[in-house]
Amino acid sequence: MTSASLAQPIPRVSLNWLLIAQALVIVPFALHIPVSLIVLWLVCTFWRIQIFRMRVRMPGTWVKSGLLVGTAGGIFLARGSLVGLDAGAALLIAAFILKMLEMQTRRDALVLIFLGFFCVAVGYLFEDALLWGLFTLLPIATLLAALIGLQQSNLSNKPAGTLMLASKLLLQAVPLMLLLFLFFPRLDPLWSLPQPSNKALTGLSDSMAPGDIAELSKSAALVFRASFEGAVPPRNQQYWRGLTLEQFDGRRWSQSSRAQVPDAPDWRKQGEKLSYSIVMEPTGKPWLMTLDVGETDLAGVRQMSDFRWQRRRPVEQSMLYNVNSWPDAVRETALSDGGRLQDLQLPAKGNPEAREWAADLHRRYPKPDALVDAMLSYFTEQPFHYTLKPPQLGPNSIDDFLFASRAGFCAHYAGAMTFVLRAAGIPARVVAGYQGGELNPDGNYISVRQFDAHAWVEYWQAGVGWRSVDPTAAVAPARIEQGLEQALAADEDFLADSPMSALRYRHLAWLNSIRLSWDNLNYGWQRWVLGYQGQQQLQVLGRWFSGFETPVFAAGALVILGLLALWLFKPWRRESDSQLRLFNAFERLLARHGLRRQQGEGAQAFARRAAQRFPAHAEAIEGFAEEFEAQRYAGISGSVGHLRRRLKYLRRSLPWRLSAVKDKQP
Amino acid sequence: MPQFKPVWQRWVGRRIPPASRIELDHRRIFILPTRVGGTYAFVLFLLLLVSINYQNSLAYGLTFLMLSVGILAILHTYRNFSGLILSASNARSVFVGEPVQLRLRLESAAGGHQAIALGWDSEQLEQTDVDPERLVEVALTLPAAHRGWLRAPRLRVESVFPLGIFRAWSWLDLEQTVLIYPRPVPGSMPLLQGVQPHAEDDGQATRGQGVDDYQGLRVWQHGDSLRRMHWKAWSRGQGLMVKEFTDLSGHDLCLDFMALGGDIEERLSRLCYWVLELSQRQQPFALRLPGFLSAVDSGDAHREACLRQLALYGVRA
Repeated sequence: MTSASLAQPIPRVSLNWLLIAQALVIVPFALHIPVSLIVLWLVCTFWRIQIFRMRVRMPGTWVKSGLLVGTAGGIFLARGSLVGLDAGAALLIAAFILKMLEMQTRRDALVLIFLGFFCVAVGYLFEDALLWGLFTLLPIATLLAALIGLQQSNLSNKPAGTLMLASKLLLQAVPLMLLLFLFFPRLDPLWSLPQPSNKALTGLSDSMAPGDIAELSKSAALVFRASFEGAVPPRNQQYWRGLTLEQFDGRRWSQSSRAQVPDAPDWRKQGEKLSYSIVMEPTGKPWLMTLDVGETDLAGVRQMSDFRWQRRRPVEQSMLYNVNSWPDAVRETALSDGGRLQDLQLPAKGNPEAREWAADLHRRYPKPDALVDAMLSYFTEQPFHYTLKPPQLGPNSIDDFLFASRAGFCAHYAGAMTFVLRAAGIPARVVAGYQGGELNPDGNYISVRQFDAHAWVEYWQAGVGWRSVDPTAAVAPARIEQGLEQALAADEDFLADSPMSALRYRHLAWLNSIRLSWDNLNYGWQRWVLGYQGQQQLQVLGRWFSGFETPVFAAGALVILGLLALWLFKPWRRESDSQLRLFNAFERLLARHGLRRQQGEGAQAFARRAAQRFPAHAEAIEGFAEEFEAQRYAGISGSVGHLRRRLKYLRRSLPWRLSAVKDKQP
Repeated sequence: MPQFKPVWQRWVGRRIPPASRIELDHRRIFILPTRVGGTYAFVLFLLLLVSINYQNSLAYGLTFLMLSVGILAILHTYRNFSGLILSASNARSVFVGEPVQLRLRLESAAGGHQAIALGWDSEQLEQTDVDPERLVEVALTLPAAHRGWLRAPRLRVESVFPLGIFRAWSWLDLEQTVLIYPRPVPGSMPLLQGVQPHAEDDGQATRGQGVDDYQGLRVWQHGDSLRRMHWKAWSRGQGLMVKEFTDLSGHDLCLDFMALGGDIEERLSRLCYWVLELSQRQQPFALRLPGFLSAVDSGDAHREACLRQLALYGVRA
């Protein structure tokens, strides 16, 4: 397009596609931009259509400036700032909407189309599920159709034709895109950018009051999925460690300040190794889930003093990491003084009965292991009850729980046990994380959801190190062996607040198998598409093409482009045309000898003239011309090879072959 | 830059030699990104930055998809453009100052060709589509500034279809030439003085019948000389009559280059005017130019022959 044609008005087809594309681009943002922008979009679209129908005029400079300032102001009011990814995305969408209103020329339309592509990419930061990814093919195709519609041709005036061509282009581009996706080296971020904020995420937090985990149990949101390289360990060994809670204030357990100091703990690998990879959903928190004791070589992640794995930045997008775990590892046979103090910390007063019981237990069982066993048997023997709706506890919550109400869930049991262990002089802490998960038989992986949140206990003995114990298992083995749904009594509804959740209908076999297959598909999407970054890429490329990445990529690109070119140009279809080609070569040959075919001179007449001019080669010349005429006009089918041989014969027979050196410039 | 153009033109001349019928193929097609293509590349770069900084696989995917579409656009633009056959139709001669209509035939060998733009320079292009196995005629105009042969400049053919990010173009010389006649300028008739033109070559000697050989009267027409007005008839109320002399009617007129003074172009223009005028009156005439003398004749062929002589007078080759 020349600069003159860029200043021309936008064709109708292109405008229509642009309006549709705009709607499709904005849809994934619907939940992430202020509602006022949706209203603005509707108004602007209506306005633009009325402009096109000549009902209203284009907005003037003042109106446009007013809209711009007003929109920016609105976004500032809604988001509280104009920086950050949320506000930035809102501003981008606002620009996309307003540009549509003031669009007049083809140049404006181009700006809008390119802006649209950019918006689609930014939309991926907010919505990256499989279905959204597929959905965005629609705006991409319509944007391309709008781009084609800007051309001045008959095809560009047909709405269906432009979309068809755009779809064809996209389809043809897919193989090359996949190749680039596979091989293009993933770089580390060049600079840090505002990340999408996940304000409304539920999940583990760095402190735990008894009711918090009950809250989590209401959510079926996915936390992570894990694939094991070998056999999946039994469910009662799937304790996914998140963080430890070491500070108790009488009511609430929270992370200690000591745990913030980066200081790798001392531990020794021992026993069988478990290898697995985890795709973690965004949590807004920096902790990564591992089985004890885990080890990962992910960049930007370190093991902290309480064996938790912490990322430098919170997990704001789903991420994939590989872990090796040694469940039988020996952890910290020697405890530092600071650590010991922290893990024996108790409030100065409160819960006198529990303290007394602890002292009594300590007297009777001087060995920590025996003391723990005694506690577990207390939980088993006494009428303890596992429920997500425990009765209210008084100010001495541990006493109330242990000796009065005897009803609660993991947080109560873990908290109470840790309290008693500490009171008995055994360093102990609460571990918060997830337990169990749902095994997907299709994909042989485990999905862990928020309702799998769990808390258990770790206690320390000199020479032995840390050991885990789960008092909940003593009270409600079903919770550990089968899951929350099975552990709850009949009167407590599982996921009562989300009646639509497919997880509530697991008893319907067909529905459940559809759900599991869909989950498997999404997991594959996350692992192989969304998680195809850095290490994952290196692993895949290393496994398949170790050392030959560049040649394989180059060869792949050439093969793809070659096949596409073949498909597009269909050289085999040009066979009928090659007679004409040979005739052209014939003409060029004679032209080199000073004989040019005149305008309008037929093949026969030309050949006759040539034969007169070169009587010695009359036979060869006329032979070729006759064959050509016969094949092309008389409908006598003959092989092109025959014609080619005749030309070859003529070329050989013409005497001054020296001039054939200039073959390149006839 | 000033030296670049001739070099470039010479190179194009070698690469795409003049021909009256040219099929666009790989030797004749150039393909380069347009300015819109540059913007497209910039957008791709921005997309890549977003992908890298957010480590977002879908954004990477979109970037690569758009990149692949961009690369594919080369193939599509080339395919749309190649196989187009251009040839020149005969152009009608015009007079200096009139626009020349050059007609071009565009044929499609196999597939269709969308949004083909043609013109003499890249700023003013005519757009057309060529459907599969169809023929389209496009008329392009050129100003006729000088008489003689007008050789059409190299024709620019281009197309940015489908995405506008790549431009396939070629620069063709279809060997189109048009004869430009002198601009007709009215004035008095430049008649041969003295010697009759056909005295030697014709048996019908007309010596003795001079300009004054009175023949009769006819009604005055615009353009007749006032000197030949029959004032007596007018005074008698018979209207405006002109005395006719034998050498004007019975004898043939001879338009003579030497009967005019002044600039060569002015003289040719005057002669041109009278060639047209007399041809329109269907009056036989002869034309005499230095080194050329036509037979006394009338009719379209005669007129064309005379105009051709006038157009090519003094033109080399």
